Order: sequence, then structure tokens, then C-alpha cells
Amino acid sequence: MKLTIEGVGKRYKGNFWGLKDFTLELGAGVLGLLGPNGAGKSTLMRILATITRPTEGRALWNGTDIVRSPDGLRAELGYLPQDFGVYPNLNAVEFLEYMAAVKGLDRAAAARRIEELLVLVNLTEARKRPLGGYSGGMKQRIGIAQALLNDPRLLIVDEPTVGLDPEERVRFRNLLSDLGGERIVILSTHIVSDVEAVANGIAMMDRGRLLAYAEPEELLRRVEGRVWEWVIPSAELPAARERWRISSTVRRADGVHARVVSEIPPAPGAVRVPPSLEDAYLAVLEGDRARAAAA
Amino acid sequence: MSQARVLWHLMRADFLERVRRYSFLLTLGLAVYLGYVVSVGQLKLWIDDSRGIYNSPWVGVVMAMVINSFLSIAGFYVVKGSVERDRRTGVGQILATTPMSKPLYTLGKMASNLAVLLAMVAVLAVMAFAAQLVAGEDTRLQMVKLLAPILVFCVPVMAIVAAFAVLFETLPGLRGGLGNIAWFFLWVGLMPASILTKGSWDLLGLGAVSADLYRQTALRYGVTKHSFVLGAMADERGSKIFHWDGMDWTPEILLSRLVWLGLAVGLALIAAVFFDRFDTARSSGRVRKPQAALPEPAEAVAGPAPAIHLHPLPEGARRFRFFDLLRAELRLLLKGQRWWWYAVALGLLIASIAAPIQSVRSVVLPLAWLWPILLWSALGTREARFATDGLVFSAARPLGRQLPAVWLSGVLLAVATGGAAVLRFALAGDWTGVGAWTVGALFIPTLALTLGVWSGSSKLFEIIFLVFWYLGPMQRVPALDYVGAVPAAVKAGMPLAYLAATALLMAAAVAGRKRQLARL
Repeated sequence: MKLTIEGVGKRYKGNFWGLKDFTLELGAGVLGLLGPNGAGKSTLMRILATITRPTEGRALWNGTDIVRSPDGLRAELGYLPQDFGVYPNLNAVEFLEYMAAVKGLDRAAAARRIEELLVLVNLTEARKRPLGGYSGGMKQRIGIAQALLNDPRLLIVDEPTVGLDPEERVRFRNLLSDLGGERIVILSTHIVSDVEAVANGIAMMDRGRLLAYAEPEELLRRVEGRVWEWVIPSAELPAARERWRISSTVRRADGVHARVVSEIPPAPGAVRVPPSLEDAYLAVLEGDRARAAAA
Repeated sequence: MSQARVLWHLMRADFLERVRRYSFLLTLGLAVYLGYVVSVGQLKLWIDDSRGIYNSPWVGVVMAMVINSFLSIAGFYVVKGSVERDRRTGVGQILATTPMSKPLYTLGKMASNLAVLLAMVAVLAVMAFAAQLVAGEDTRLQMVKLLAPILVFCVPVMAIVAAFAVLFETLPGLRGGLGNIAWFFLWVGLMPASILTKGSWDLLGLGAVSADLYRQTALRYGVTKHSFVLGAMADERGSKIFHWDGMDWTPEILLSRLVWLGLAVGLALIAAVFFDRFDTARSSGRVRKPQAALPEPAEAVAGPAPAIHLHPLPEGARRFRFFDLLRAELRLLLKGQRWWWYAVALGLLIASIAAPIQSVRSVVLPLAWLWPILLWSALGTREARFATDGLVFSAARPLGRQLPAVWLSGVLLAVATGGAAVLRFALAGDWTGVGAWTVGALFIPTLALTLGVWSGSSKLFEIIFLVFWYLGPMQRVPALDYVGAVPAAVKAGMPLAYLAATALLMAAAVAGRKRQLARL
């Protein structure tokens, strides 16, 4: 099981490149795509989901070009787009039966799978209610269920935890971890903690380009010894933000505890702390932006 | 910000949003085509066998009548949808949280609708000049006399159309396809009412114009019984041409036009009463269960999460069966219909069995195949309308599997609703009727699918099919008889023509879906 992405790019109207020269090779496991809005994550995912055709480059699923022969991948693909709708007059079971038929699943196997999935996404109680009356989180869970219907070898989920309550988010993250062992899961989000929890490979993107691809441990090693915790009075925070790369702040009784990513301590009292993935993400992102500004 | 400024910005933003779409260019193209038809003399105004010389007043009044007769129906479908767009895009939710009042919103929407319609009228007014010059019968341009009928007769009509479009969008029952159909029948009634009543119900101005022209022709030719035709004459030889110096603008005419304008504003204000201010809890769409978000199931917040493990699919589970997909598409097509929909369909089936065979052919079958219009009109549009395209089109072979299943579900609906009629034809040994029926059963869903795929909206099919239905089987125009209701059409081989058209439409549907897949 292998997904190869070779120099893939997508140009939109006005000569705007949403994705440029993206190269990556993936095996079984969970890949977390991290990047700010407009980084090109959704474009990449839509290309890999055979929905959007790339302007340049190619993507291969087990050696087969997915643009020229998309159906081989489609039979093994589960896709949850960032924005999707449902048919409001159908209930959960009917909608999943419809999607199973579209995906070409045997009716009996689909029926068993649907029951299992409804338990999994916690919608057993609401299974007979029309989807038009579902909340945003419930619709998102139906989206997750349909993506898993055909037991996909490649699962692509774009911002899957949007609208989920904390408990459902944890359930879904556990599910992704479970699934990642025997298939390729590509998860896009800008919630770093989601990626931190499940991904064994992380691709950081900005302005349509791949900035870094590594295991989380490797990314953390890159900022090891460069993360500081610094307690400053609230009033001094704006000035500190202007001078230092602050990845997070927490207000406590003794002042604001700011995490700073820097080669040198921001102040004599600053304490070196173990880095988080969020620190690594910001370091990569801002490092790239600083290089771009200098160039 | 003053109320007038709010109104102006509401109208401006909505107008700009519309005119920057490609569809607006198509709309203007439609106006240009209508103007062209008048310019080249394919559409003329006749009083018995006489017409006016093509001077500015005559061209002005002809164009005004053409605008009022055709834009009053087409314009409604062009402008209806602006409230729905606010609903769909979520802009409405934002507007609802501002101090803007409901009457101001509906007035703003009406003003924006009117602006779009007047843009089309302006194009046609320019075309009127061209029409006079092309005719070359009297090339003296009299601006006021040419434009006055267009301004006096057309602006109130467009205002009424603009206001009705807003009113229909605020009434839950008329918001969708049912409203499109209702407007068609309202318009069908409006035409004769305008000519026959001459006074209070003369919205289109046809009554006022015909009365003026009758007086003129009565004075000239001494005729007392008249016919008033807006169309083409098969043979114009022997027709009389008279000089007409324009309308006698009486205070009654001008006052009645002002009343219509006032009525349009009144309709927009009535719309405000029904407007739900984008409160989804108040609106009642096709989903019968509560529209408001359901509470999360109890177990979502209580108790530990069950162990997460999905069993792998068994060998051979990934086995596509077309019948399963067809069944799913059929369910999608029929889901949400109320009991009375099936009751009427059943009633029409019974009528197909009980009525004389000639009535079945000319009335019952066309009615039975009009009844599912709102189901057929969803073909090819659902994926875009409900944003399921990303899910459906990422499955294997969307073109080779899902599209044929959608089409076949529409054909099966035609078979189910018109099945009793074909049985009658077969039992009577009317194999020509069986053939025409078969073509009809294939043509209607194919037309729906093609128009749905290309337009992305159910509106286009609803309008075009209604025109076909009204002019073909009902008004017995052979060229538009897709069902074999008119003997002359069958004799002229129209079923074969429609079979060929069905094949072309099918090819267009496939091409349209391919385009959709490439553009996702």
C-alpha cells in the first residue's frame, strides 16, 4: 500500500497556485497535514480524492496514476470533505444505504457495516430521524460514517473534528489511531492537538508548498532547547509579542506565562521547557516566512 | 444610517451580486434575442388584418407589449431566488442580526429584482430603436413617443413581477418548484384578464392599447368587431397598414399605472409579514420533522465511549450492483412525498383506466405526466443543491453508474405514473400510441436530467416543461407535443423527432456531468 505524490501543483484562475511542487511518499499510518488557512491542504486532499485534477505532477496509488485511472483508487477511498451536505429528507440509515450503493457495496455487507458505523459515531438513537434536523456535529458524524463505509485503504479527512464536542473529538481521534495501523489516513486540520494525538507523520504547509515533512518526534527535536517559559506582567505582553515569537500564553496569579521559541532566552528569568508540536509548527512556519521576507 | 441608505445598499449589493454572474449575460442575451425577433418583424402587433406603420410610437407600443407579455413570465423566473441565495449562503443569518427591519429587507429585494428587470427592459428599449430603423418604413426617431409606452406600461409590470417574486420566496409553500408552477398558471390567467377587462385588471396594458387601436381602426375601416394578435401572420399579403400617432395618454391610464406601482410596493410589504427573517425554526421546508437542530443523543454526553474497532469488510463485499444503486436513487427521488401526492397520482392512474381512450391520450396522460414535475426537476441537481457532490463523485465511475441510475429512476417514475395509459393503448391495439408513450416516458426525464445537470437548478426544467405541456398537449401545437396527444403531431412523425431529441439530450447530459466532474 503506497501513495506517491510527485511534484503535484494546482493553478487556479488568475495564475494563482493553490499548490506547488508537492512531493511525498506515504505508506500505512496517519499523516497530519498542518497549515494555516489557504495553505493548500484542501487542494491537495481534493486532488488525492480524485475530485480535482492537478495542473502539473502526478499522484500514484500503488503505482497507478490516479488522474488517468481514478476508479482503482475510488473503490478503496474514503473521503470526508471540509464542506459537504446531506439529503435532508433521508434518515441516517437511508443516507448511508444510498452512499453504500454509490460506492458499490454488497447490500447485506453494507447493512451490517451501517449498523456498526452508527454505533461507532454514536448515532444509533437518531438513526431514523431525517438528516435535515441534525445538528452540525451530528452531520459531521454522518460524514465520518460514510467515509468509512467501504473499509477504505486510503482515508482522507479534511477538518473532521469541526463541530464535534470534546468527547466526540477524542473518540474520533482514537478511531483514527486505530485505523491508521492498516491503511493510509490523511488528516487535515489546523488544530495542532488533533494531529499531535494521532499522526505518525506530519506535513507542514504554507502558501501551497510543503515546508517540512517528518515524524512528530523529529519535529520536536528541531526545537529542542529553543522553547522558553517566561513570566511577564500583563501590561508588557504586547511589547513582548512584538519582539519575540510567542507560541502560547496562560494567565496565572503571578502574571502571564508566555512560551517563547527563541535561540536565546528572552529574559534572564526565562526557563527552558520541553517543546510541544505547536511550538515546532510555529517555528517552522515563521522561519519560512522570515526567509521569504528576507528574500 | 437612514432607512433610504439601507434600502439603497441592500438593493445595490444584491444587484451587483447578480449582474456579475455569467447567468446575467445569458439573461441579457435573452432580451437581445427578443428584441431581434421584433426587429426582423417575426413578432408584430395586429388589429384584425391591419397594423401600424413602423414609426416611433408604433414600435414603442409593440415593444412595450412584447416586454409585458414575455418578460412578465420569464422575468419572474430570472429574479426569483434572491432571498433563497441569502438563505443558502448564510448572508441572511448575518442580516437578521442587524437592526434592518423586515419590510426594508423585502422592499430592498423587490428593488433589486426590479433593477435586474429594468436592465432587460433597457436593452429592449435600445432594440426598439434598431427595430424602427431596420423596418425602414418611417425613420424619423421620436424619442418620447418611442419610450413613453415602454416606461408607462412596462415599469409597473416589472415592479409587480419583482414584488411577486419576493412574496413567493417568503411564502414557505411557494418558495420552491410549486411557486414556479403557480406563477405560470397565474400568468396564463393574466393575459386574457388584461385584454378582456380593459380596466382594473389590465396589468399588462393590453386592454388600454387594444382599446386605443380599436378606436383608430374603427374610424378608418369601419370595423366594429376586432381581434388583437401579438405574433406572426402566415400571410401578410393584403394586410392594411395605417399611420398611428401614439397613445392617447388619458389620466385614467396614467393613474391606473401608478396604482399598479403602489400595489407592487404593497405586495413587497405583505411579503414582509410572511418573511421568517431566516429563522430556521419558523420555516417549514420539505422535511416534516422539526427543522431546528435536534438535541444530541443522550449517550453522546453520558457514559464511557464504546470500544472503537471496525470489522473489516468480508471478501466480495465490494461488488457493485446497478439494481442496488437504482433502488437507492428511486428512494431518494420519492422520499419526502406526502400521502396526497400518491393519492393524486393514483387518481390519475384510475382515470387513465376509466376515461375514454381519446381523453386519456389528450388530457389524462399529459396531466399524469405533469404531476411528478417537481420530482423530475430534481434530477441532476441534487448533488449541487445539497452539496453532496464531493461525496458522490469521489465514488468509482460516477458517470457510468450513478448518472444512468438517476436517469433510469426518472424513467421508472414516468412508467409508474403513466403505466395505466400505455396499457390502455396496448389493449386497444394502438401501437402508434404505445410508441409515442414510450418516447414521452424517455423524453421527459432526459430533458429534466440534462437541464438539471447543465443549469444546476430545477427551475429551468420546471419552466421549459410547463411551456411544452401548455402549448403542446394542452394548446395542441403539434411541434411541442412530446406525448402523442395531438393526432396531427403523431402523423407528422413528432414521436420520432422527440426520440432523436432524447438521444441528443442524453449525450448533452453526459457531457454536462463530465464538465461538472472536471470543474469540481
